Amino acid sequence: MTSEEPASEPGQVLQLPTSARATDIALDELELVYAFIYARVGNRADAEDLTQQVALKAIPRLREGAPASAIRGYLFATARSVLGAFWSTRLGLSESELREDLAMPIALGPPSEEGTETVQQILAQLSDNYRRVLELRFLHGYSLKEVASEMKSTVGAIKVMQLRALRAAAKVRPE
Amino acid sequence: MNGKRENRIDKIVSDLLRGRRLKLRGGDAEEKGAITAAARLAAARQGSQRMHPAFRKSLASLLEQEPKQDRVTRRAALVAGLGLAAGVAGGTLLGRATQPGIMPVAGATIDPVNGRWIDVAAMSDLVEGQGKRVKAGGVGAFLFRRGQTVTAVSSICSHLPCELWWDRSNTHLACPCHPASFHPDGKPTDGYALPALNPVQVRVTTAGRIEVLGTE
Repeated sequence: MTSEEPASEPGQVLQLPTSARATDIALDELELVYAFIYARVGNRADAEDLTQQVALKAIPRLREGAPASAIRGYLFATARSVLGAFWSTRLGLSESELREDLAMPIALGPPSEEGTETVQQILAQLSDNYRRVLELRFLHGYSLKEVASEMKSTVGAIKVMQLRALRAAAKVRPE
Repeated sequence: MNGKRENRIDKIVSDLLRGRRLKLRGGDAEEKGAITAAARLAAARQGSQRMHPAFRKSLASLLEQEPKQDRVTRRAALVAGLGLAAGVAGGTLLGRATQPGIMPVAGATIDPVNGRWIDVAAMSDLVEGQGKRVKAGGVGAFLFRRGQTVTAVSSICSHLPCELWWDRSNTHLACPCHPASFHPDGKPTDGYALPALNPVQVRVTTAGRIEVLGTE
Protein backbone atom coordinates (compact mmCIF):
# COMPACT_ATOMS: atom_id res chain seq x y z
CA MET A 1 0.00 0.00 0.00
CA THR A 2 1.23 3.53 -0.65
CA SER A 3 0.11 6.83 0.79
CA GLU A 4 -1.47 7.71 -2.58
CA GLU A 5 -3.54 4.57 -2.60
CA PRO A 6 -5.54 4.03 0.58
CA ALA A 7 -6.07 0.43 1.63
CA SER A 8 -9.77 0.62 0.99
CA GLU A 9 -12.44 3.04 -0.08
CA PRO A 10 -15.05 4.17 2.40
CA GLY A 11 -18.21 2.21 1.85
CA GLN A 12 -16.42 -0.70 0.23
CA VAL A 13 -17.59 -3.94 1.75
CA LEU A 14 -15.14 -6.50 3.01
CA GLN A 15 -16.33 -10.04 3.20
CA LEU A 16 -14.20 -13.07 3.69
CA PRO A 17 -13.35 -15.45 2.20
CA THR A 18 -15.23 -14.55 -0.93
CA SER A 19 -12.26 -13.29 -2.89
CA ALA A 20 -8.53 -12.98 -2.85
CA ARG A 21 -9.03 -9.23 -3.29
CA ALA A 22 -10.95 -9.03 0.00
CA THR A 23 -8.12 -10.86 1.71
CA ASP A 24 -5.61 -8.41 0.28
CA ILE A 25 -7.63 -5.47 1.54
CA ALA A 26 -7.91 -7.02 4.99
CA LEU A 27 -4.18 -7.70 5.00
CA ASP A 28 -3.44 -4.09 4.11
CA GLU A 29 -5.59 -3.01 7.04
CA LEU A 30 -3.72 -5.45 9.26
CA GLU A 31 -0.47 -3.97 7.93
CA LEU A 32 -1.50 -0.67 9.54
CA VAL A 33 -2.45 -2.50 12.72
CA TYR A 34 0.97 -4.19 12.75
CA ALA A 35 2.72 -0.81 12.40
CA PHE A 36 0.57 0.63 15.18
CA ILE A 37 1.43 -2.25 17.49
CA TYR A 38 5.10 -2.41 16.50
CA ALA A 39 5.55 1.29 17.29
CA ARG A 40 4.47 0.48 20.85
CA VAL A 41 6.16 -2.83 21.63
CA GLY A 42 9.38 -2.26 19.67
CA ASN A 43 10.01 -5.82 18.56
CA ARG A 44 8.82 -8.09 15.78
CA ALA A 45 7.97 -11.18 17.82
CA ASP A 46 5.54 -9.43 20.14
CA ALA A 47 4.14 -7.32 17.27
CA GLU A 48 3.41 -10.48 15.23
CA ASP A 49 1.78 -12.26 18.16
CA LEU A 50 -0.45 -9.30 18.95
CA THR A 51 -1.36 -8.66 15.30
CA GLN A 52 -2.34 -12.30 14.92
CA GLN A 53 -4.53 -12.01 18.00
CA VAL A 54 -6.24 -8.99 16.42
CA ALA A 55 -6.76 -10.92 13.16
CA LEU A 56 -8.24 -13.92 14.97
CA LYS A 57 -10.67 -11.71 16.85
CA ALA A 58 -11.61 -9.82 13.71
CA ILE A 59 -12.30 -12.80 11.45
CA PRO A 60 -15.96 -13.26 12.45
CA ARG A 61 -16.58 -9.56 11.82
CA LEU A 62 -14.82 -9.75 8.45
CA ARG A 63 -16.97 -12.71 7.48
CA GLU A 64 -20.15 -10.82 8.24
CA GLY A 65 -19.25 -8.25 5.63
CA ALA A 66 -18.97 -4.64 6.72
CA PRO A 67 -17.88 -1.31 5.26
CA ALA A 68 -14.10 -1.04 5.11
CA SER A 69 -14.16 2.06 7.28
CA ALA A 70 -15.99 0.13 9.99
CA ILE A 71 -13.50 -2.70 9.67
CA ARG A 72 -10.60 -0.34 10.20
CA GLY A 73 -12.26 1.11 13.28
CA TYR A 74 -12.96 -2.36 14.60
CA LEU A 75 -9.41 -3.57 13.95
CA PHE A 76 -7.86 -0.63 15.77
CA ALA A 77 -10.29 -0.89 18.67
CA THR A 78 -9.30 -4.55 18.91
CA ALA A 79 -5.61 -3.65 18.62
CA ARG A 80 -5.96 -1.22 21.51
CA SER A 81 -7.63 -3.81 23.67
CA VAL A 82 -5.02 -6.47 22.80
CA LEU A 83 -2.18 -4.00 23.53
CA GLY A 84 -3.88 -2.97 26.76
CA ALA A 85 -4.02 -6.61 27.87
CA PHE A 86 -0.36 -7.07 26.85
CA TRP A 87 0.91 -4.19 29.00
CA SER A 88 -1.42 -4.79 31.90
CA THR A 89 -0.39 -8.45 32.07
CA ARG A 90 3.30 -7.66 31.94
CA LEU A 91 3.54 -4.38 33.81
CA GLY A 92 0.26 -3.93 35.59
CA LEU A 93 -0.51 -0.79 33.59
CA SER A 94 -4.09 0.31 33.99
CA GLU A 95 -6.35 1.29 31.13
CA SER A 96 -6.35 4.93 32.18
CA GLU A 97 -2.55 5.00 32.09
CA LEU A 98 -2.61 3.55 28.60
CA ARG A 99 -5.43 5.60 27.18
CA GLU A 100 -3.25 8.46 26.08
CA ASP A 101 -0.68 6.22 24.46
CA LEU A 102 -3.16 4.00 22.68
CA ALA A 103 -5.44 6.79 21.53
CA MET A 104 -2.73 8.52 19.56
CA PRO A 105 -3.64 9.28 15.95
CA ILE A 106 -3.57 6.36 13.61
CA ALA A 107 -1.08 6.69 10.81
CA LEU A 108 -2.70 6.40 7.44
CA GLY A 109 0.45 7.09 5.48
CA PRO A 110 3.49 4.83 5.21
CA PRO A 111 3.45 2.76 8.39
CA SER A 112 7.03 3.51 9.42
CA GLU A 113 6.53 7.23 9.93
CA GLU A 114 4.32 7.35 12.99
CA GLY A 115 6.84 5.97 15.48
CA THR A 116 9.76 7.94 14.12
CA GLU A 117 7.94 11.27 14.21
CA THR A 118 6.68 10.65 17.72
CA VAL A 119 10.13 9.76 18.95
CA GLN A 120 11.65 12.87 17.41
CA GLN A 121 9.03 14.95 19.21
CA ILE A 122 9.83 13.21 22.49
CA LEU A 123 13.58 13.59 22.10
CA ALA A 124 13.26 17.26 21.21
CA GLN A 125 11.76 17.97 24.63
CA LEU A 126 14.53 16.34 26.65
CA SER A 127 17.65 17.96 28.07
CA ASP A 128 20.75 17.77 25.88
CA ASN A 129 22.39 14.95 27.83
CA TYR A 130 19.26 12.83 28.00
CA ARG A 131 18.55 13.34 24.33
CA ARG A 132 22.12 12.49 23.38
CA VAL A 133 22.25 9.26 25.38
CA LEU A 134 18.96 8.03 23.90
CA GLU A 135 19.89 9.05 20.37
CA LEU A 136 23.22 7.26 20.53
CA ARG A 137 21.85 4.16 22.20
CA PHE A 138 18.56 3.71 20.34
CA LEU A 139 18.82 5.54 17.04
CA HIS A 140 22.52 4.87 16.34
CA GLY A 141 22.70 1.51 18.10
CA TYR A 142 25.77 2.35 20.21
CA SER A 143 26.74 0.01 23.05
CA LEU A 144 26.91 1.47 26.56
CA LYS A 145 30.68 1.48 26.27
CA GLU A 146 30.57 3.40 23.01
CA VAL A 147 28.11 5.90 24.45
CA ALA A 148 30.36 6.35 27.49
CA SER A 149 33.35 6.99 25.27
CA GLU A 150 31.42 9.42 23.06
CA MET A 151 30.09 11.33 26.06
CA LYS A 152 33.37 11.11 27.97
CA SER A 153 31.78 9.33 30.90
CA THR A 154 31.74 5.88 32.49
CA VAL A 155 29.55 2.92 31.62
CA GLY A 156 27.99 3.01 35.10
CA ALA A 157 27.12 6.69 34.81
CA ILE A 158 25.68 6.21 31.32
CA LYS A 159 23.53 3.33 32.54
CA VAL A 160 22.04 5.55 35.24
CA MET A 161 21.61 8.40 32.74
CA GLN A 162 19.86 6.04 30.33
CA LEU A 163 17.34 5.07 33.01
CA ARG A 164 16.70 8.69 33.96
CA ALA A 165 16.42 9.73 30.33
CA LEU A 166 13.86 6.98 29.69
CA ARG A 167 11.87 8.06 32.76
CA ALA A 168 11.93 11.62 31.44
CA ALA A 169 10.92 10.46 27.95
CA ALA A 170 7.96 8.62 29.48
CA LYS A 171 6.67 11.89 30.93
CA VAL A 172 6.84 13.76 27.62
CA ARG A 173 3.54 13.97 25.78
CA PRO A 174 4.07 14.36 22.03
CA GLU A 175 2.12 17.21 20.49
CA MET B 1 12.82 -4.52 41.05
CA ASN B 2 15.76 -6.37 42.57
CA GLY B 3 19.33 -5.20 42.15
CA LYS B 4 20.18 -1.98 40.46
CA ARG B 5 17.34 -0.66 38.39
CA GLU B 6 19.66 0.76 35.79
CA ASN B 7 21.08 -2.73 35.17
CA ARG B 8 17.66 -4.28 34.77
CA ILE B 9 16.50 -1.51 32.43
CA ASP B 10 19.68 -1.84 30.39
CA LYS B 11 19.03 -5.58 30.02
CA ILE B 12 15.57 -4.79 28.66
CA VAL B 13 17.00 -2.09 26.36
CA SER B 14 19.73 -4.45 25.10
CA ASP B 15 17.16 -7.17 24.36
CA LEU B 16 14.97 -4.71 22.44
CA LEU B 17 17.93 -3.42 20.45
CA ARG B 18 18.77 -7.00 19.50
CA GLY B 19 15.21 -7.44 18.24
CA ARG B 20 14.18 -9.75 21.06
CA ARG B 21 10.73 -9.81 22.56
CA LEU B 22 9.94 -8.04 25.82
CA LYS B 23 10.54 -10.43 28.69
CA LEU B 24 9.37 -8.66 31.79
CA ARG B 25 9.21 -9.61 35.44
CA GLY B 26 6.74 -8.59 38.10
CA GLY B 27 9.09 -6.04 39.65
CA ASP B 28 9.56 -4.27 36.33
CA ALA B 29 6.21 -2.55 36.84
CA GLU B 30 7.99 0.02 38.99
CA GLU B 31 9.73 1.25 35.86
CA LYS B 32 6.80 0.89 33.51
CA GLY B 33 7.22 4.38 32.10
CA ALA B 34 10.87 3.80 31.24
CA ILE B 35 10.09 0.41 29.68
CA THR B 36 7.27 1.62 27.45
CA ALA B 37 9.46 4.57 26.40
CA ALA B 38 12.29 2.15 25.57
CA ALA B 39 9.92 0.05 23.44
CA ARG B 40 8.86 3.13 21.48
CA LEU B 41 12.44 4.24 20.93
CA ALA B 42 13.49 0.75 19.84
CA ALA B 43 10.59 0.70 17.36
CA ALA B 44 11.70 4.00 15.87
CA ARG B 45 15.21 2.65 15.31
CA GLN B 46 14.04 -0.35 13.33
CA GLY B 47 12.89 1.79 10.42
CA SER B 48 10.45 -0.18 8.29
CA GLN B 49 7.64 -1.61 10.32
CA ARG B 50 5.90 -3.63 7.67
CA MET B 51 4.99 -7.21 8.26
CA HIS B 52 7.52 -9.87 7.34
CA PRO B 53 6.35 -11.60 4.12
CA ALA B 54 6.17 -14.98 5.86
CA PHE B 55 3.99 -13.54 8.60
CA ARG B 56 1.75 -11.79 6.06
CA LYS B 57 1.36 -15.10 4.28
CA SER B 58 0.42 -16.87 7.49
CA LEU B 59 -2.20 -14.19 8.19
CA ALA B 60 -3.56 -14.62 4.65
CA SER B 61 -4.04 -18.34 5.20
CA LEU B 62 -5.75 -17.57 8.50
CA LEU B 63 -8.17 -15.20 6.77
CA GLU B 64 -8.85 -17.59 3.92
CA GLN B 65 -9.82 -20.54 6.08
CA GLU B 66 -13.31 -21.76 5.29
CA PRO B 67 -16.04 -20.22 7.44
CA LYS B 68 -17.42 -22.40 10.21
CA GLN B 69 -14.29 -24.48 10.01
CA ASP B 70 -12.85 -25.15 13.41
CA ARG B 71 -9.67 -23.43 14.30
CA VAL B 72 -7.27 -26.13 13.34
CA THR B 73 -3.59 -25.49 13.55
CA ARG B 74 -1.85 -25.18 10.23
CA ARG B 75 0.34 -28.09 11.21
CA ALA B 76 -2.70 -30.36 11.68
CA ALA B 77 -4.16 -29.14 8.38
CA LEU B 78 -0.90 -29.81 6.62
CA VAL B 79 -0.57 -33.27 8.10
CA ALA B 80 -4.12 -34.08 7.06
CA GLY B 81 -3.59 -32.62 3.62
CA LEU B 82 -0.50 -34.66 2.99
CA GLY B 83 -2.28 -37.83 4.00
CA LEU B 84 0.44 -38.60 6.49
CA ALA B 85 -2.00 -38.87 9.33
CA ALA B 86 -3.52 -42.12 8.14
CA GLY B 87 -0.23 -43.92 8.38
CA VAL B 88 1.02 -42.26 11.51
CA ALA B 89 -1.98 -42.25 13.76
CA GLY B 90 -4.64 -44.36 12.14
CA GLY B 91 -6.73 -41.38 11.17
CA THR B 92 -6.72 -39.78 14.60
CA LEU B 93 -5.00 -36.66 13.41
CA LEU B 94 -7.08 -36.55 10.26
CA GLY B 95 -10.16 -36.69 12.43
CA ARG B 96 -8.80 -33.93 14.60
CA ALA B 97 -8.23 -31.76 11.58
CA THR B 98 -11.59 -32.19 9.96
CA GLN B 99 -14.14 -33.24 12.54
CA PRO B 100 -16.46 -30.36 13.36
CA GLY B 101 -16.87 -29.20 16.92
CA ILE B 102 -13.40 -30.06 18.12
CA MET B 103 -11.12 -27.28 19.23
CA PRO B 104 -7.58 -28.52 19.72
CA VAL B 105 -6.67 -27.35 23.21
CA ALA B 106 -3.73 -29.56 23.98
CA GLY B 107 -1.83 -32.01 21.86
CA ALA B 108 -2.73 -35.68 22.09
CA THR B 109 -0.04 -38.08 23.24
CA ILE B 110 1.86 -39.50 20.30
CA ASP B 111 0.94 -43.14 20.06
CA PRO B 112 2.41 -44.60 16.86
CA VAL B 113 0.78 -47.63 15.28
CA ASN B 114 3.22 -50.51 15.81
CA GLY B 115 5.19 -48.23 18.08
CA ARG B 116 8.47 -49.48 19.49
CA TRP B 117 10.42 -48.46 22.55
CA ILE B 118 13.63 -47.01 21.23
CA ASP B 119 16.70 -46.47 23.38
CA VAL B 120 17.63 -42.81 22.95
CA ALA B 121 19.89 -41.79 25.83
CA ALA B 122 21.18 -42.53 29.32
CA MET B 123 19.87 -40.74 32.40
CA SER B 124 23.36 -39.37 32.89
CA ASP B 125 23.11 -37.64 29.50
CA LEU B 126 20.35 -35.37 30.77
CA VAL B 127 21.02 -32.16 32.66
CA GLU B 128 18.26 -31.11 35.00
CA GLY B 129 16.47 -28.03 33.66
CA GLN B 130 17.86 -28.43 30.14
CA GLY B 131 16.12 -30.00 27.16
CA LYS B 132 17.74 -32.70 25.06
CA ARG B 133 16.58 -33.46 21.56
CA VAL B 134 16.34 -37.12 20.58
CA LYS B 135 14.92 -39.10 17.69
CA ALA B 136 13.08 -42.39 18.04
CA GLY B 137 12.69 -43.39 14.41
CA GLY B 138 10.01 -41.08 13.03
CA VAL B 139 9.27 -39.45 16.39
CA GLY B 140 11.34 -36.45 17.37
CA ALA B 141 11.20 -35.40 21.02
CA PHE B 142 12.74 -33.20 23.67
CA LEU B 143 13.53 -34.91 26.95
CA PHE B 144 13.49 -33.18 30.32
CA ARG B 145 14.79 -34.62 33.55
CA ARG B 146 13.47 -33.77 37.00
CA GLY B 147 15.15 -35.85 39.66
CA GLN B 148 14.69 -39.43 38.54
CA THR B 149 11.68 -38.60 36.37
CA VAL B 150 11.89 -37.93 32.65
CA THR B 151 9.20 -36.30 30.53
CA ALA B 152 9.11 -35.81 26.77
CA VAL B 153 7.29 -33.59 24.32
CA SER B 154 7.24 -33.56 20.54
CA SER B 155 10.00 -31.59 18.85
CA ILE B 156 7.53 -30.24 16.25
CA CYS B 157 5.86 -26.89 16.86
CA SER B 158 2.11 -27.09 17.42
CA HIS B 159 1.61 -24.07 15.19
CA LEU B 160 3.87 -24.43 12.16
CA PRO B 161 5.44 -27.77 11.18
CA CYS B 162 8.95 -26.72 12.14
CA GLU B 163 11.55 -28.39 14.34
CA LEU B 164 11.80 -26.63 17.69
CA TRP B 165 15.14 -25.83 19.28
CA TRP B 166 16.12 -25.60 22.92
CA ASP B 167 16.73 -21.99 23.91
CA ARG B 168 19.17 -22.51 26.76
CA SER B 169 19.21 -18.89 27.97
CA ASN B 170 15.44 -18.58 28.18
CA THR B 171 14.92 -22.24 29.13
CA HIS B 172 12.16 -22.86 26.68
CA LEU B 173 11.57 -24.53 23.34
CA ALA B 174 11.53 -22.01 20.51
CA CYS B 175 10.11 -22.29 17.01
CA PRO B 176 12.49 -21.14 14.26
CA CYS B 177 9.62 -20.35 11.88
CA HIS B 178 7.46 -18.11 14.04
CA PRO B 179 7.67 -16.31 17.39
CA ALA B 180 6.20 -19.21 19.33
CA SER B 181 7.79 -20.86 22.34
CA PHE B 182 6.88 -23.57 24.81
CA HIS B 183 7.69 -24.59 28.36
CA PRO B 184 9.26 -28.00 28.97
CA ASP B 185 5.77 -29.33 29.81
CA GLY B 186 4.67 -28.38 26.30
CA LYS B 187 2.46 -25.43 27.22
CA PRO B 188 2.93 -22.19 25.27
CA THR B 189 4.97 -19.57 27.14
CA ASP B 190 2.49 -16.74 26.76
CA GLY B 191 -1.20 -16.16 26.44
CA TYR B 192 -1.00 -16.64 22.70
CA ALA B 193 -3.69 -19.19 21.91
CA LEU B 194 -1.52 -22.05 20.70
CA PRO B 195 -2.19 -25.71 21.40
CA ALA B 196 0.30 -27.40 23.70
CA LEU B 197 2.96 -29.66 22.23
CA ASN B 198 2.09 -33.33 21.85
CA PRO B 199 3.42 -35.36 24.78
CA VAL B 200 5.69 -38.23 23.83
CA GLN B 201 5.74 -41.49 25.78
CA VAL B 202 8.99 -42.10 27.59
CA ARG B 203 10.29 -44.55 30.19
CA VAL B 204 13.45 -45.19 32.16
CA THR B 205 14.81 -48.73 32.39
CA THR B 206 16.33 -50.22 35.52
CA ALA B 207 19.70 -49.86 33.83
CA GLY B 208 19.20 -46.08 33.70
CA ARG B 209 18.54 -45.96 29.97
CA ILE B 210 15.81 -43.75 28.51
CA GLU B 211 13.45 -45.19 25.94
CA VAL B 212 10.95 -43.29 23.82
CA LEU B 213 7.93 -44.85 22.14
CA GLY B 214 8.77 -44.23 18.52
CA THR B 215 8.87 -46.05 15.22
CA GLU B 216 11.39 -48.26 13.51
